[in-house]
Amino acid sequence: MDMKQHCVKLSVQPSRGLVDEKFTVLVQNLLPGFQLTIHALHQCEDGHSWEAFAHYTADATGIVNVSRDPSLGGTYSGVEPMGLLWSLRPVPGSKTGLRWRKMNVQTPMGVTILVYQGHQTEGFVDQVLLASVVVERWYMAPGVRRVPITEGRLTATLFLPSGPGPFPGLLDLWGGGGKLVEYRAALLASHGIASMALDYLTPQITKETGRMVDNDYFETAYRVLKQYPQILGSRIAMLGLSFGAGVTLRMAVYSKGLKLSCAVCINGSHVQPIDGPLEQMMTYFNKNAYKTRVDENNQVIWRDLMLPIPTDPSLKVDMGRLQCPLLLVVGEDDQNWPTYESAMDMKEMMERAGNSHLLTVLSYKNTGHLIEPPFTPFARASTFKMVTNPRTKVMALWGGELVAHSRAQEDAWRKTLVFLRENLYGGMKHGASFSNL
Amino acid sequence: MTGATEIHPNISGTPNTSGTYIGSFWCERNIPELKIERHIEDNRMIALGGKMIPCYTVQRNLASIQRGVRWTSSCRPAPLLTASPVRALIDDKISIRGHFLPPRCPVTVCAQMQSDDGDLWEAFAHFNTNLDGTVNLTRDPSVGGSYLGREPMGLLWGLQPAPGAREGLRLRKKKVETPYVMLMSLLKGHVSPSERPSTELAAVTSERWYMAPGVRRIEIRQNGVVGTLFLPPGSGPFPAMLDLWGMGGGLVEYRSALFASRGYASFSLAYIGHKDLPGPQHQINVGDPYFKSAFQLLQDHPQVYRDRVGIIGLSFGVYLTLRLANHSDIKPSCLICINGPAGSNIKLADADGRTEQMENDQQYWTYDDQGNVSFRAVSLPANLSPESKVKLEHLTCPLMYIVGEDDLSSSSIENANLIEETLSAAVKSQLFTRLSYPGAGHLIEPPYTPNSRASLWSVKPQKLVTLWGGHLALHAAAQEDSWKKILEFMETNLRH
Repeated sequence: MDMKQHCVKLSVQPSRGLVDEKFTVLVQNLLPGFQLTIHALHQCEDGHSWEAFAHYTADATGIVNVSRDPSLGGTYSGVEPMGLLWSLRPVPGSKTGLRWRKMNVQTPMGVTILVYQGHQTEGFVDQVLLASVVVERWYMAPGVRRVPITEGRLTATLFLPSGPGPFPGLLDLWGGGGKLVEYRAALLASHGIASMALDYLTPQITKETGRMVDNDYFETAYRVLKQYPQILGSRIAMLGLSFGAGVTLRMAVYSKGLKLSCAVCINGSHVQPIDGPLEQMMTYFNKNAYKTRVDENNQVIWRDLMLPIPTDPSLKVDMGRLQCPLLLVVGEDDQNWPTYESAMDMKEMMERAGNSHLLTVLSYKNTGHLIEPPFTPFARASTFKMVTNPRTKVMALWGGELVAHSRAQEDAWRKTLVFLRENLYGGMKHGASFSNL
Repeated sequence: MTGATEIHPNISGTPNTSGTYIGSFWCERNIPELKIERHIEDNRMIALGGKMIPCYTVQRNLASIQRGVRWTSSCRPAPLLTASPVRALIDDKISIRGHFLPPRCPVTVCAQMQSDDGDLWEAFAHFNTNLDGTVNLTRDPSVGGSYLGREPMGLLWGLQPAPGAREGLRLRKKKVETPYVMLMSLLKGHVSPSERPSTELAAVTSERWYMAPGVRRIEIRQNGVVGTLFLPPGSGPFPAMLDLWGMGGGLVEYRSALFASRGYASFSLAYIGHKDLPGPQHQINVGDPYFKSAFQLLQDHPQVYRDRVGIIGLSFGVYLTLRLANHSDIKPSCLICINGPAGSNIKLADADGRTEQMENDQQYWTYDDQGNVSFRAVSLPANLSPESKVKLEHLTCPLMYIVGEDDLSSSSIENANLIEETLSAAVKSQLFTRLSYPGAGHLIEPPYTPNSRASLWSVKPQKLVTLWGGHLALHAAAQEDSWKKILEFMETNLRH
């Protein structure tokens, strides 16, 4: 069955969307029962090519609607409205160990969506192309302002929503790889939360002094955020992933200078030496480095470094003293940190102390360490350089299985936004459905 | 789309004097019955501060509503205004909503946009928030401002030049590669944006684009032809449109850009008033060969389906469209004619490029009491030179004619009738489709952009403002409906 190109109509709505926004991919004017392949192609900032594809069959009215129809095979199957994005993977022949990240948030992620005749699995370039469109995915909504922050010797970037404010604020922390990672803060600002991405492992001050920052660095960040015009000083949250989650818990519980409205910890742990400076956390890891395991693919598993969960109270944050709402996001297949075990221990500590009403746990099966904003490519493992050991590049195993992990990202992000909104705008009775925002 | 004739107040009123605390917001629920008066003078224009703007006001006792409402507080974040999609194409609908507001309280949503020439355009609408403290422009009616009633896109087509702007403006995008940036704000109470002070509660910035990602803009100066080609993303080949505008001249790209964003190659053609065209800019110095070259250039393009090329014309562009299609060797797949004549007193340059002096069409110009000129009578069939009237009996492809019934620039109804009669006599009625819109003016353009009922036509030899016609809400409805039908017509005739 042949299809003429002039007939086929491909549309993606919206063609310019935020990264966490769903789109509708529609192919029309097909012959009923026509077989086609939808192919997504993307070139990332490092120049690597990523692709995804899926096989569809047109219905009786000659339409393929990716939000409604099942993929019969490809990089995803079944009904997956956003599968063309989250199943993107490096094209054959690419370097191994790639991880997709957008470091320049001021430009969009560009994806070309193409429709080919038949059910193809490779060699797309040689096939009959029926239609194609280009789609942009943005981390920054129009009007969001990006403000580099160096005050207080911080290395940070503040993203302010458009409008007069005042806006609630948020400190955004990443993990052991360091660097100033902006995309999640940019996206949060696009949802009305003034967010500051904070580099605390490789900031300018550490490069100059050779010393790791300590609690006062975070207290300074909090203060700068709180005092910033248009930011509501009484509503500041903290969000951390991985190592950043541990820092968040530490600051939330022990810091006198920080008064958080709420905290979100993604795939982190409360296990850390609580006496002494932040540097001690690194020392603790290195001491337990012998527990590092390697799987059959030579991928490094670090989750055992903090297991078993210590009973010694000086080795974990006293969760019973937490005074603000906490959302824990847990990937049950996290191979990098013992997230699940830590979450269970934290829950137990809080139940014993009587403050467990503050705790919400989102736990996802077959989900790995890198729980990020949704609809972006997944990596079960990737090359990683720990800041404390920058000369050593390993293939870190993050864990997770493509479909479950991608679903978890979508669900966790939506619930994180709801949690943040409830606690940062909290106390208001309204029927507004946050998922529409 | 509801015309601006019905008013649906969002308040039901059993007076209730008790107030309620919701968080730290308190709103007195004593909202009296609304007394609605519509102030309409001079074709829905009302003088406000010396500036004529369309405005509907609802008279009511505001005092008891405003008293006792705490909108913002130092211990509460601000309300939120959202627009979705926040980056949209011009013909996409946008959903605008306000959240975290006190319930049943007056708010104003205001839109501001700067044109490519730097003029500020603005629109505003008055709402009363819902019980859940939200306002939703897709759901809620405006009770005052630039438009009335439930109009999801009213803030866009209701844009007017801001107070203090230059006279006689018309909103047209010159640079189609950049978006319109729209700043929308949520203001406390029922205010107009120029009122100071007004409290801004929230704001959102949105972008509106003529070009979708991946659309390519190519300047064409080839074979003497002057134009801009827009190609959809991908390798093609694509069905295509030749895009013709009126005697205002220049090179008008935005409709073509939008066609390309919808999957059609589209070629905007200049024929008068462009520096790259031969001869003096105030007259047409090109003739039939020029238009044929343009059509063939488009047909011959490697990324265009030569058998799937249509022509669209607005105003004088209609005459050019019909004339071009009449050549035996030009075979378009379809024709779309908007508000234009089937003949002309203006002669195109002859085969040797010689231009005859333009017939004095000015004898047919009429003036209103403000000295604004209407060109309408120029194109009355009786006033058109008989030999110029296109012989539509030879038509072989579908023709869609779009009429704005309040067209003050062209005798569209009469020309539509003429075309219809000619085709009927030739037993070709099945080729003809007419869309006729009451209250719509001359400038039926892509949707969700404001209509100018009149605008500056020339500054030399004297300042002249010309009348286009069109009543705001009805014209907007016509643009929305006709655009949809234009795309459907193109799909039927160019894709299948």
